[in-house]
Amino acid sequence: MTRPYTAVMIVPTGIGAAIGGYAGDALPAARAIASVVDTLITHPNVLNGAQLYWNLSNAYYVEGYGLDQFAAGNWGLQPVHCNRIGLLIDSGVDETLRWRHLQAAEAARATLGLELSPYVITEGPLGVELRVAASGATWGTIQHPDRLLRAAERLVEAGAEAIAIVVRFPDDDGEALQAYRQGRGVDPLAGAEAVISHLLVRHLRLPCAHAPALTPLPLDPCISPKSAAEEIGYTFLPCVLAGLSQAPQFFTGSPDAASKDVIWADQVDAVIIPATACGGSAILNLSQTSATLVTVEDNTTTLSVCASDLGLKTVNVASYLEAIGVLAADRAGVALEALGPSLTPLPFLSQSDSRSVSKGLG
Amino acid sequence: MITHFIEMDINLRQAGTGLVQFVEAELRRHGHPLRWAIVSVDRNTQTACIEAVVTVESSSD
Repeated sequence: MTRPYTAVMIVPTGIGAAIGGYAGDALPAARAIASVVDTLITHPNVLNGAQLYWNLSNAYYVEGYGLDQFAAGNWGLQPVHCNRIGLLIDSGVDETLRWRHLQAAEAARATLGLELSPYVITEGPLGVELRVAASGATWGTIQHPDRLLRAAERLVEAGAEAIAIVVRFPDDDGEALQAYRQGRGVDPLAGAEAVISHLLVRHLRLPCAHAPALTPLPLDPCISPKSAAEEIGYTFLPCVLAGLSQAPQFFTGSPDAASKDVIWADQVDAVIIPATACGGSAILNLSQTSATLVTVEDNTTTLSVCASDLGLKTVNVASYLEAIGVLAADRAGVALEALGPSLTPLPFLSQSDSRSVSKGLG
Repeated sequence: MITHFIEMDINLRQAGTGLVQFVEAELRRHGHPLRWAIVSVDRNTQTACIEAVVTVESSSD
């Protein structure tokens, strides 16, 4: 009998990841990884496919700020049967789009049986501003974050246990959007979305996730399959509601006071990340644990922060297919080098080697 | 509250093994760190470039 094998899969948002930089296109990798581990901890950018989603019974849907806190050992993840979701809508969302989102919420109640609390509309527009940084990553700021926090507090007072946020994003028909629809470049909205959900999770310590409200785009028969999930409806809300409905709650007390089913960072066995995006806080913190870092080469990004740049020890693989093999072997307790065509002879540890090791450890 | 985007360089030699704590301490000079990442590393100078959003308390909304 072995203990459960826990993996964390991270594809940072807004960095043009070749897999996971578009509309739910890391979900196939997440599904496959989930099938070879006992528990998969990942985040909305990996699992959200606009109107498409997949219920992974062993996956934890954890927003990025919460994932950072989990990785730092500050918060644990408390599994739940269900969360009552509060819907927060930016008053900058026009009436037609607002109704589309409310109908998506009603549909989630009627077809999925999700529990939603009363919805709120912010007292004024939040004023999202998009930005592309020198690295090529997209970021964003909000002109009125206090309006967001006050509206969320009202939802919590009304009984919400998780918050789905719908914020009006600037319409854009520029080159960045066209490239994104073609499966190239960086998601122009992603960085700002992360800032919104990070703000709420930091403030409320509850599961939160965001769906942008955008005017539907005119039909383009030539879009990339990787972006198609965002072209098939009026709203990206269904995946957010499905994810939040069973997202783990954050346990923010002392580990000594936690129940046994709370998961902590020191229980993570493996972390799977793009090879050029090793500089996030969750990754850096998890690199200080005993978890195996698996870096995936062909998930390219706009960044160029490799494990070796930061002195991180990793298992570098070409693809998620290979990463899945690494996880399966690790879970089975099979040494990776034993799967190759040859093995180097067992080295002899001499007395002098032992003494130098002891000194090094001392 | 105000959200600010900032870019900042840090010296990895100064950071030592407590890289996350070092970055967050540097970011706190500008506000409360919300989201950040090292986005590039110059191996020759051991300089890391950070992009981040921090929040700053403000009396007006």
